[in-house]
Amino acid sequence: MAFNRERGRFKRTFHRRKVCRFCADSSLVIDYKDVKTLRHFTTERGKITPRRISGNCAKHQRMLTVAIKQARNIALLPYTTSTLR
Amino acid sequence: MRYYETLYLINPDLAEEDYQSVSKKFVDIVGRHSGEVIEVQDWGRRPLAYDVKKFDKASFVLLRFCGENRVPEELQREMRLDDRVLKYQTVKLGEDADPEALRRQAEEARTKSQETPKSEAEEESGEGEE
Repeated sequence: MAFNRERGRFKRTFHRRKVCRFCADSSLVIDYKDVKTLRHFTTERGKITPRRISGNCAKHQRMLTVAIKQARNIALLPYTTSTLR
Repeated sequence: MRYYETLYLINPDLAEEDYQSVSKKFVDIVGRHSGEVIEVQDWGRRPLAYDVKKFDKASFVLLRFCGENRVPEELQREMRLDDRVLKYQTVKLGEDADPEALRRQAEEARTKSQETPKSEAEEESGEGEE
């Protein structure tokens, strides 16, 4: 009984505070040529991670999606990884 | 004057002198249309995220320049016609640019990046190969 209550409480408090990385550190710039940074915001399959996962603010998420799409267009990032060599 | 940058991919099988002539050709085109070249960054041969015209590698060149809208127009037209260019993308970076100030900035950035060795670039290309 006590154990159950404990577990229930644990579940309710399970969320972590997410802060937009680009707001926290103004020296970080979103650039379509910076593949290393952009890769943090894509899944292994090359999809853009949603805002609810990455924790970015709306403004930076918008800039990020544009940058990722530009990088895809010029073959710096994959559209998909299903065509693996 | 507007500030633009064009990132384009060149056929990786070209000989060194052909490669130089391609890069020079586009610099000349910018000059011919009264544009100003800010800098040319040669990224070398890198793996592509997906095949482009059956190539899985390409030489990347980044060309930054200032000029009126006919400069990127003409540049893109030439790139479309040139078989050695696999793909290109132009991005506008700003309006009312001052070429002199930008050139100085580019120079500063270059000296700064030389202080920190190019291990970053190597890591990046390694990631792409996975």
